Amino acid sequence: MNTPRTKLSLAGLTKSYGSNLPPAVDNLDMEVEDGHLVALLGPSGCGKTTTLRMVAGLLDPTSGRIMVEGQNITNTPVHKRQMGMVFQSYALFPHMNVQENVAFGLQMRKRPKQEQQERVMKALEMVQLDHLAKRSTKALSGGQQQRIALARALVVEPTVLLLDEPLSNLDAKLRETMRTEIRQIQQRTRATTLFVTHDQDEALDMADRIALMNGGLIEQFGSPHEIYERPRTRFVANFIGRANLFEAAIGSESSTGPDGLARYEISVGDHGSFHAVGEPGMAGSVRNVLVRPHRLRVGSAGTGAEGLRGRIESNSYTGDSVSYHVRVGSELFTAERLTDGDTLLSVGDHATISWRAEDALVLPEELQ
Amino acid sequence: MQQPAHAPFRPRMSVSRMFFLLTVLLAYLFLAAPLIIIFLMSFNANQYLSWPPESFTLDWYRALPQQTQFIDGLQTTLITASASTFFVLICGVPAALALNRYEFRGKELLSTFFISPLLVPTIVLAVGLVLVLGPLGLTNTYASIVIGHFAITFPYVIRTTLMSLLTSDTSCEEAAQVLGADRFTVFRRVTLPIIAPGVIAGGVIAFIVSFDEAVISLFVAESGRPTLPVHVLRYVEQSADAAVAALSVILILFSLVIVVIVERLMGLRNVLR
Repeated sequence: MNTPRTKLSLAGLTKSYGSNLPPAVDNLDMEVEDGHLVALLGPSGCGKTTTLRMVAGLLDPTSGRIMVEGQNITNTPVHKRQMGMVFQSYALFPHMNVQENVAFGLQMRKRPKQEQQERVMKALEMVQLDHLAKRSTKALSGGQQQRIALARALVVEPTVLLLDEPLSNLDAKLRETMRTEIRQIQQRTRATTLFVTHDQDEALDMADRIALMNGGLIEQFGSPHEIYERPRTRFVANFIGRANLFEAAIGSESSTGPDGLARYEISVGDHGSFHAVGEPGMAGSVRNVLVRPHRLRVGSAGTGAEGLRGRIESNSYTGDSVSYHVRVGSELFTAERLTDGDTLLSVGDHATISWRAEDALVLPEELQ
Repeated sequence: MQQPAHAPFRPRMSVSRMFFLLTVLLAYLFLAAPLIIIFLMSFNANQYLSWPPESFTLDWYRALPQQTQFIDGLQTTLITASASTFFVLICGVPAALALNRYEFRGKELLSTFFISPLLVPTIVLAVGLVLVLGPLGLTNTYASIVIGHFAITFPYVIRTTLMSLLTSDTSCEEAAQVLGADRFTVFRRVTLPIIAPGVIAGGVIAFIVSFDEAVISLFVAESGRPTLPVHVLRYVEQSADAAVAALSVILILFSLVIVVIVERLMGLRNVLR
């Protein structure tokens, strides 16, 4: 099961804080490839930080295994795991200057003085703060503290780098910069990284793989592209990006395309029927269908165009783009398009909404 | 918030404000009066403690080294105060750590118990100590004083250390662990330096309280190991000259020096916050 490229693997990892409480992390399985940055993404309380802390060894799992390079480290104490971690509060040692902070891990590893000094300076150069080596950590800005924390974690060449919401204490502009910088440093050092965040943009932008968590479970594990384009559950579709999700009766299945997706006829009540794609074998059921707002087209009714029939409930025009809310039965669709000079539809107009078949995805998740 | 930016607010000394300042000044004067009077008396040439001072002299200070009972008392006090401070820190800091960082049954109870010596009248504590230490043959020894002073200074060390622990970021310790430090190294290299202000403040308070304490010392070791406060008490009972005033001034200066050093080293205001 362990391919040689697997760096970190979690098997049946569970953390329960009490027998009468639902587990914070529930039987989690995950494999992280060497050199990958994996984002643990989810709303607060989904178990992402608990998972990270178990990997670090700061929390004992109730059951399950943590393996690094094929070795079971579940019972290895924190200080022997050889990991690097950046905390949300950075956790720089207030009584040490920048250089001493970065050197701490090397001192613990009893590296020679000379080597310590060289590696510390190299790590500080990497985060472009070598000129602040002698500065007190209290005199640093948030972004600088963040970089020092990163340098301190990376200087020991950790087996796995753990980042616990490292960007959440920075202001919006700095967050963007640091996002790029962390990603670049991670790619340069090829450090296998687990990154906890609740910010979907961060995860989409930085991660090689996203583990989208909810209620202690991984809802979906995949590349940012897969997570966005091929969500498997309603939760994932809603959490990543904006979504029109509606229930539809899945009709006949036709040819399966090269991407492995089948084409379906779908119908929404008596408001019309249209097309969508999805995994084969779902014909005859009722499922959720996803269409992203910017892939939804709205046309005036009566032109004979195919699609679902509805009525414009509100519109908002900003010059470059226009967005409509279209009521189709009990469902409200949001459409957002760049303007093309055509006449705008007004509130109350009958309209037809349509999409390219490959822009509508039938979610494999079964409805309760 | 409506004020224009270029019209700065200038507070003017109003009558009520002057009255307020005057009241504060008088209150401080009242509190400091004993110290000021002692200070003036210690330079008074009169044979007896009397007011107002008649003429200036340094004789009382010159005579102090000849008062052997004061020198002996000072020695006893320095030994017992140092030992009390040492033991109370050795026990108090780990106890505060345990109270702050671990969850266990009876934690609240233990926490209250540690603070309780502050609530019990010292004289009750002193009588109790005599009743317990007497049969053990420990009265009139250094140990008896140290045990008594340990009890009354323990709450201070617990409190100041807990204060530092409460305001410290535990993720610093976790960061050190992840970087490869075992528990003891984490304590030595990270926890202790971070809580040092609280520990030092607790130590200084413990030392001063122990240095100053008379009631327990009087009960448990008056005849065997009289401390400086005990000697002062005896002296005042027998004579009424200004030697005690001179001694008091020196003790005040001694306390002041400790406070100034701590303030210089780490800012006492930060420590006592």
